[in-house]
Amino acid sequence: MTRFPVGRRAFLKTGAAALAATALPRVAFAAPKTVKIGLVAPLTGPLAIFSDNLPWTLDRLKAHTGGQIDIGGTKHPLEIIVRDSQSNPNRAADVAKGLILQDKVDIMTAFATPETVNPVADQCEVSGVPCLTNDCPLEPWFFGRNGDPKKGFDWTFNYFFSAVNMAEAYYDAWDQVKTNKVVGALWPNDNDGLAFSKIFTGMAEKRGYKIVDPGRFDLPSGNYSAQIAAFKSAGAEIIAGVLPPPEFTAFMSAAAQQSLQPKIISMAKATEFPAAIAPLGARAEGLSVEVWWSPTSPFKSGLSGITSQELSDAYEKATGNQTSMTLGFRHALFETAFDALKRAKSLDDPESIRDAIASMDYASIVGPINFKKGPYPNTSATPLVIGQWKKGTKFPFDLVVVDNTTAPMVPVGGKMAEIVHG
Amino acid sequence: MVETILNLIVQGVLIGGLYALFALGLSLSLGVMRFVNIAHGDMIVLFSFVLLSLTGVLGWSPFLVALILLPVAFGLGWLLQRFLLQRTVGKGILPILLVTFGLSIIIQNGLLEAYGPNTRKLSGGAIELAALRLGPIDVGVYPLLVFLLAVALIAGLDAFLYRTAIGARIRAVADDPAAADLIGLTSARIYPVAMGVVGITMLVAASCMSVWTNFDPSIGPSRLLAAFEAVVLGGLGSLWGTLIGGVIIGVAQNFGSQIDASWQILAQHLVFLVALVFRPQGLFARS
Repeated sequence: MTRFPVGRRAFLKTGAAALAATALPRVAFAAPKTVKIGLVAPLTGPLAIFSDNLPWTLDRLKAHTGGQIDIGGTKHPLEIIVRDSQSNPNRAADVAKGLILQDKVDIMTAFATPETVNPVADQCEVSGVPCLTNDCPLEPWFFGRNGDPKKGFDWTFNYFFSAVNMAEAYYDAWDQVKTNKVVGALWPNDNDGLAFSKIFTGMAEKRGYKIVDPGRFDLPSGNYSAQIAAFKSAGAEIIAGVLPPPEFTAFMSAAAQQSLQPKIISMAKATEFPAAIAPLGARAEGLSVEVWWSPTSPFKSGLSGITSQELSDAYEKATGNQTSMTLGFRHALFETAFDALKRAKSLDDPESIRDAIASMDYASIVGPINFKKGPYPNTSATPLVIGQWKKGTKFPFDLVVVDNTTAPMVPVGGKMAEIVHG
Repeated sequence: MVETILNLIVQGVLIGGLYALFALGLSLSLGVMRFVNIAHGDMIVLFSFVLLSLTGVLGWSPFLVALILLPVAFGLGWLLQRFLLQRTVGKGILPILLVTFGLSIIIQNGLLEAYGPNTRKLSGGAIELAALRLGPIDVGVYPLLVFLLAVALIAGLDAFLYRTAIGARIRAVADDPAAADLIGLTSARIYPVAMGVVGITMLVAASCMSVWTNFDPSIGPSRLLAAFEAVVLGGLGSLWGTLIGGVIIGVAQNFGSQIDASWQILAQHLVFLVALVFRPQGLFARS
């Protein structure tokens, strides 16, 4: 056995070199580290319809990225951890906490109504985790969380339409049809109902409309006799509101039974999806609703270059289901999260991911996203138009854009028409 | 103005028919058999989900499916009483409360597990939308039919309880189980029949409710509350009283929400409280 005597100095020298050798690559090349994106979504419950496009979108992104994300020339394994909020704000906060503390996600995402997004954003703000959300109107997100327009938030960012913008768009669309400008309102006692009542009522006089508002009611209701009586005696020719799909179906049945025949029915939430209007059958024709994204949107994905029409076609071909406006926002949520991660200076530092979101200037499939432009701090407003359900070719009804006054870049496909009562 | 008030009353009376249907089974078990079934609302919701599944598979009208299921509903009520609830008979008021409370929790969570928390509604077809013009008022054909069904069912049950031999036996056992036992009328034989009839009313209520309005696994208790109020308002033991109780609740809801939509449920409870103060035994109580 041969021995190699190693002196004290020699040992220290080679030891130090070896240490340096193992430490160096980390500094110089950034070894692959699993990037974790947390997602809180209403997979079940009354809001489950908002998650319909999610599985397909996730599959598509996985195929596109190969389960990896390229950051500064290094391919990092990518993990998207999905948790169900069960359409319940308390549950949303709980699963967000779990994603932060146990799964230690690098960036948090969430979508679909203030009931899902706000509790998740609040958890992230407290824990110092970068949070990027969409599909939640800006006002309930910013002011519903007691946002101060002078300060904004440190960690949380949200992009969607502004409710003020939406009310303007509705009034523009109603202007197209000759009515007595009397609006019957169905605003329930929840986040959306309270916000809508304030914004619509505040604008009514300026726009020359009169609002018949029987008051906030608790859901589930099922008994709409008093509202229908009030609308009939006031002669309301426009019905506007924000109701979940089953409630709206109950209202429509009662309205038919009691011969309420308005010229316009604009119902947010309940008529946004093809699946939600299906139970109405022929009565779905002529219903109008705000449109946040459609196959005819003029925007392209900054991630893959796919156009809105191509994305919609791919979805319909793969699933056999009709496309809905949530599809664009599902896709955009991951696009924007990837963009922030790619521009982050260090993946180990939450603040640098946060700064990458704050400085975002990205062309997504739902429009340009830039959180410096507002209208409120930490928010970015996406374009909004009004659509009307008209007889379709491939599917029973198509949501056709009928008014683009507030977002002229989105092409219109028809005119707002009066509902024909059979 | 007169027209508006008349309309509110008519629509309230019609929805009162639905409430009465819902409360009918409770009126039987509470008023005649003298026990409180906490799971009453949940059992109706359970039947609604059964109808949902079967109409989905068969593609038939929910009313047709309900008609075919009537014997099954009777059998379920019979089995429930014979093998579960019967064990608590004669042991005071508390054990049956606990047993049905447990049943309520089991049904709610079972449905949540099986169907998820989504809100559902069944489609009744064209009849659901048909309207009838009676003078100055528009009346829905479907609510009118439900009301007439409630009246018919109550007339039938009333005749069953107070005109037939088995009805007399049920009442005899309810009045004094020990004395009835002495003359050979054991509650173990009589009560399951009564509960079977309750099962039938539950199925009828489930089919009417699931077409009229929405349901989800957790809605049972809130529907039970309205049913309770209808039974107590009308007076224990009086089936016609239950119908009047349901009508009063429906009309009160409509007048409440005429003031402000948020007053709908409040008005219902207020009327109930006022009635309790002035006539605690109910409007048409049988002594």
